[in-house]
Amino acid sequence: MTDNPATDALDETPEEQARSAQAEADATVDVASETEAERRARFEREAMPLLDQLYSAALRTTRNPADAEDLVQETFAKAYGAFHQYRPGTNLKAWMYRILTNTYINSYRKKQREPLQSDAAEVEDYQLHRAESHSSSGLRSAEMDALDRLPDTEVKQALQSLPEDFRMAVYLADVEGFAYKEIAEIMETPIGTVMSRLHRGRKMLREQLTDYARERGIVKEGASS
Amino acid sequence: MTDSETTQGRAAVPGAEVDCSEVLHRLYEYLDGEMGRADAHRIAYHLAECGPCLRQHDIDQAMKALVKRSCACEEAPAELRVSIMQRITNIRIDY
Repeated sequence: MTDNPATDALDETPEEQARSAQAEADATVDVASETEAERRARFEREAMPLLDQLYSAALRTTRNPADAEDLVQETFAKAYGAFHQYRPGTNLKAWMYRILTNTYINSYRKKQREPLQSDAAEVEDYQLHRAESHSSSGLRSAEMDALDRLPDTEVKQALQSLPEDFRMAVYLADVEGFAYKEIAEIMETPIGTVMSRLHRGRKMLREQLTDYARERGIVKEGASS
Repeated sequence: MTDSETTQGRAAVPGAEVDCSEVLHRLYEYLDGEMGRADAHRIAYHLAECGPCLRQHDIDQAMKALVKRSCACEEAPAELRVSIMQRITNIRIDY
């Protein structure tokens, strides 16, 4: 791909090398001495590539494209306005998600008047570690296959039907792969609350989707015989 | 769950008392990689011995993969990118 042995050794194109050098510079930049133009360029390089991801998250959060666009625009504007407070080299994605979540809670949730989940009792319930037993949701292999083949729309719909805090926790953990500690920071809740939300949200999701898979598994078997 | 399976799981790990109830309660921590090594080891050991818990584990694992697959990243509309850039250009930051 190139004649430069140093580049070949690193298996990077010159463009990639330049980009990683730039990323390194961005991670160690001295915010205090940065000009406004430099900061804007750094924001473009670092934050704008997160646009698709944040838009997808906003879609799952607001449940409609127009609100998702507004939310994302608001998020980026706020993030840029506060970019001098972001510590270079730390987790920018988590920082942006936190702004998105905050913005959503402060404006959109108020607008929709969706009641806040009162989850103190639920967290306690979870922490008390109520006896759990194997549910009857053990699936036969045909049903496991049906689960694997569930259409995306069905899964999204099930996710949408979860209470908001549960939905966000599940999304942040399973789609974005954030650690519990990061989710706790993004949602500004204790880790115990995150765990309880994940627990309850996933259980609800599992019930809905296994029911659906079971129906399809049975339908499939009936159709093939 | 049958009694024999539960008892088997317990007896197989002397000193590391873990029952189905605890395993099921902490399955998500296990699947999310949020568990210390010793605990994860205990859970893994139990799963190897207990069919019903393993089936639950497999369903929960499939569910995680399903959510991830279904919510794959969607491309933001091009106009959104443009309007964000415009808005940022107009922002003056006061320190």
